[in-house]
Amino acid sequence: MVQANCVNSRLRFGSYAATAVMLCAVSARAADADRSVFSFNGFGTLGVVHSSEDHADFTSSLYKPNGAGFSHNWSPDVDSLIGAQVTANVAPRLSAVLQVIAEQNYDKSYRPHVEWANIKYQFTADCSIRVGRTVLPAFLFSETRKVTYTYPWVRPPIEVYRLLPVTSEDGLDVSYRLHLGELTSTVQANAGRRTTHIVEGGTTEARDTWGVSDSTEYGPLTLQITYVKTHLTVSSLNSFFDVFRQFGPQGIAIADKYNSNAKPLSNIGVGASYDSGNWLVMSEWGHSHTPSFIGNSTAWYVSGGYRFGKFMPSITYSQAKADNLSDPGLNVSAVPPLVVGPATGLNAALNSILSTKPVQNTISAGARWDVLQNVSLKLQLDHTRIGAGSSGVLTNIQPGFQTGGEFTLFSVSIDFVF
Amino acid sequence: MHRMTLIGFTIVALALSQGTGASEVDVVAVVSSKSTLTTLTKSQVAQIFLGKSDHFPDGSQALPIDQAEGTVARDAFYTKYTGKSAAVVKAYWSKMVFTGRGLPPKAVSNSLEIRKVLAQNPNAIGYIEQNLVDSSLRVIVTQ
Repeated sequence: MVQANCVNSRLRFGSYAATAVMLCAVSARAADADRSVFSFNGFGTLGVVHSSEDHADFTSSLYKPNGAGFSHNWSPDVDSLIGAQVTANVAPRLSAVLQVIAEQNYDKSYRPHVEWANIKYQFTADCSIRVGRTVLPAFLFSETRKVTYTYPWVRPPIEVYRLLPVTSEDGLDVSYRLHLGELTSTVQANAGRRTTHIVEGGTTEARDTWGVSDSTEYGPLTLQITYVKTHLTVSSLNSFFDVFRQFGPQGIAIADKYNSNAKPLSNIGVGASYDSGNWLVMSEWGHSHTPSFIGNSTAWYVSGGYRFGKFMPSITYSQAKADNLSDPGLNVSAVPPLVVGPATGLNAALNSILSTKPVQNTISAGARWDVLQNVSLKLQLDHTRIGAGSSGVLTNIQPGFQTGGEFTLFSVSIDFVF
Repeated sequence: MHRMTLIGFTIVALALSQGTGASEVDVVAVVSSKSTLTTLTKSQVAQIFLGKSDHFPDGSQALPIDQAEGTVARDAFYTKYTGKSAAVVKAYWSKMVFTGRGLPPKAVSNSLEIRKVLAQNPNAIGYIEQNLVDSSLRVIVTQ
């Protein structure tokens, strides 16, 4: 609670500071009519998704409570959102950004939240520092995952994009760009922390987060390598694992193995894209590692498309694997007869948590049509096969759901930027 | 898998059947005739217009001036100098804007406006149809 307040007050400080800088901008640049101080931009997605699996929900993020399948036949909540941004160019080297997004929250509300809020100081054209909230550049499209207009799919391949449960931080980052002939390479280093509310109640708290990334562009080629390290606490599940401790040494061992109490989590991402203007080919690989119930996961995808003027069909194959989908749990023959029942129940609950690690592969076919200068219409069909013993990326698992099955999604969305 | 193979073949077949739609409009990068700049590589022009560089090779500040979205000159310019279509450039700038990395160049409504702005500012660089170049402008030779 203390930690959460601390993080909240830091963010508030960041938001206030960004607002203060913007207000300064009004007075500082009021006389300079040549270039406006403020830029207003926005983006949004209106989408619906249908899933063939009606004993569970498909959602686009770990932080959404429901979606397509069980809760809704056609769900608008999976992809729909609207975002607004103010950029203030205070001085030639100083700027501030505030971006707010309204989308389905952990509590089902559409209350807007702050996605970006930072102040940037540009030392040179190639070197800058930012203080405040930034989105982590874990994968090629992580930073603009909410700006659906920026990529060819309805949503980036979920197998890879949900590997890292932490998406942003309140802290600082430094970026440096090198020019080597036709090649540009941008190195970024960041450090911070962030607390996020989760659907199950409570929060995930990422402390001592830091990362480095490099993005190199050479003509139509882009190569990105990223590393993120954090220390993750999932408060709601820690109280569950603490119950195991009452069963003596074997229970303590289970609790220590699976709890998420400031456990280190690291994520590596390697991605490449080739965009010739007509051909667009992309592939990414990611691996996340943590000694908790989240465990180790590896995912990758390859995607290709071709632009016929304003029309672009694409196909994608993606896959996610995770270790340790089940655990024998407490040895019920070694516990007192009176608590065999509770011990069996705990074991079942532990295994249902472990089965939510996504093991699945998906074949997608989709098309993007640039209807207007700033509006695109997308259709996408995803067919997913879930690995044995896993519920894949699905949530809200209902009685009657079979692990290791398959499901098909049909998605349509309209994306816009302004 | 048969379904996907079929889709793959369809894409390739459509790709091969489509000719290279070269633009008929010849657009050239221009600066003010008061500027001392004479040559740039295509890549240097692209880097200036995509916000990856803010200066010319001699170190002086570069001020790119765009034309409005949807103009023939703009589409032809980005295809010729960056290899990107208008929609790809729009998506690129959406990425830059919504990650706080920068804002697109200031845009004017047409090629005649480009002439006016460039005549007044030796740091400005723009693009214009070859046949609209007059004595107030210098065509940048691209290598």
